[in-house]
Amino acid sequence: MTAPVASSRADRRGRVGAYGLWQFRDYLLDRGAPTFIVSSLFAYLTVAPMLPGLKRNMDTLPPKLIARWGGVDAARAVLMHDFNELFLRSFLGVVVFLGALFAMNGIVANDRKQGFYRFLFSKPISPSRYYGQAFVIHWAGFLVVAVVMTLIYGALVFPILSVPLVQALALMFLLYAGIAFLLSAAARWDWLSLVSVTVAASYLWSRYGASTSPFAKLLYLLPPLDRTSEIYSAVAKGDAIPWNLLQWYAGYGLVAYLLGLVVLRYRRLAIV
Amino acid sequence: MISFSHVSKSYRAVLGVGRVVPALVDFSLELREGEVFGLAGPNGAGKSTLISLLLGFLGPTEGEVAIDGLEPRRYVETRGVGYLSELVNIPAAWRVTAALHRYALLSGVPSAELGTRVQAAIAQLGLEEHKSKRVRQLSKGNLQRLGLAQALLSDARVIVLDEPTHGLDPVWTQRFRDIVTLLRRPDRTILIASHNLDELARLADRVGIIDRGRLQRIVDVRATERDVVEGAAYRIVVTRGEERVVEHFPSARALGRGEFELTGISLDVINLGVGALIAEGALVNALYPVHSALEQQFREAVGAKEEPS
Repeated sequence: MTAPVASSRADRRGRVGAYGLWQFRDYLLDRGAPTFIVSSLFAYLTVAPMLPGLKRNMDTLPPKLIARWGGVDAARAVLMHDFNELFLRSFLGVVVFLGALFAMNGIVANDRKQGFYRFLFSKPISPSRYYGQAFVIHWAGFLVVAVVMTLIYGALVFPILSVPLVQALALMFLLYAGIAFLLSAAARWDWLSLVSVTVAASYLWSRYGASTSPFAKLLYLLPPLDRTSEIYSAVAKGDAIPWNLLQWYAGYGLVAYLLGLVVLRYRRLAIV
Repeated sequence: MISFSHVSKSYRAVLGVGRVVPALVDFSLELREGEVFGLAGPNGAGKSTLISLLLGFLGPTEGEVAIDGLEPRRYVETRGVGYLSELVNIPAAWRVTAALHRYALLSGVPSAELGTRVQAAIAQLGLEEHKSKRVRQLSKGNLQRLGLAQALLSDARVIVLDEPTHGLDPVWTQRFRDIVTLLRRPDRTILIASHNLDELARLADRVGIIDRGRLQRIVDVRATERDVVEGAAYRIVVTRGEERVVEHFPSARALGRGEFELTGISLDVINLGVGALIAEGALVNALYPVHSALEQQFREAVGAKEEPS
């Protein structure tokens, strides 16, 4: 029988920072890959039916259009730009929402439900530090996946990668992911709750957003998700991003994330 | 080192509506540095709740739990506890070596020692031939050994083992005892919760018997072994002259193959009878109590409704 494996160096904090590489790997395999596959499938199903029409229009440009844009290449560029705008407007919302859903689904709740927390948190680490870091890593992982997808789209169809696009992806992700993180820290059915909150916020803001009733102020407990298309349209058109709205969204997500950390600090792990 | 002071824990239904189920009631206990403390009790006695309170996975409804003077969660988050849970829950897709690397990192093992420490744990728990397997491919016994390996990666001063030999074969059960012996240290406290009283009798210095959420008694195992329990049942095995046993012990019950059970007879009478048997040429092969001293105590504390393993 060999001697006990442990050395005599005691009272050492867990190396959560170094564990980040494992969290990044877990993200890519368990969450990033499904995000990539489902989003790519969505992109393909959106783009594929539109491509023959686009090609036809490119091949048979009306003389009036060529004259208007000052040449065949310029007219084709305009057509391509319109096509991308149409695609991006629908695609961005889907990829951000799905990306956040995949990245945050059960991020805390699964470990609780499946009992993984027992070995993890008998180590000298705190749940808020561990999951707080996981959130940031999943966020970064999502951006990597999103950038790879836009690069592939750019190589196959038309370049779309831009700083405003990445900013919009990052901050809109923060909104949904922050809410999902809080829900996962506090409850079991986090993915269902995220869908419910998204649908409820979207519906209530569009229905009562203009109301002058004092009760309408309660709407500010939810983000105005009926206006997300303003962000995606601005990015798609290449217009100035409505920063006030984007900051509203990102701030809401950030507050939800911080509340999630508070929940993790005080909520007992064995309570599912 | 570890103290439970008038700790109660009740479970309530969702939103506080419905029946309140008491899991622990006014539980007080002190565990000392350097000791191996056993925790025995029937199913549902409150052992798992007690361990969850000790690790800060649950909070007490009343009373206080402290490790080294600190609130449990604070202690665990700063120093860590070597912990093996009753159910070994490790993500099924993880490979054995990778799982131990992960747990070693989270235990604070420095990079320079990481590989050696993980390899040592694999060797100590006999997992060499399984180290590339995924967790889902492990048998119950191997999974239990992996659970034990991750608990021993750090140099924790508090080690909590919940049903540690559950699923282990006899060879590894024996090796587990050797491991616990090696883990003993003057500044370390080891808590072992088990249904297996024989195991606790071999390993623990003291055993707390818990039933229906209450600490029924604490048994000092070493002292108890020397105690004489009057009226306890004994078995005698005689290989020659077995026909004479009933002459000296009229109430003896023959079990066959020279084995007899003696019940309700004092040790003095048993000694006299055995002496006479030997003097008459009988060959007494063995004389032993039917139940160990700890088992006797357990039966008294919990009642005969629960048969210990």
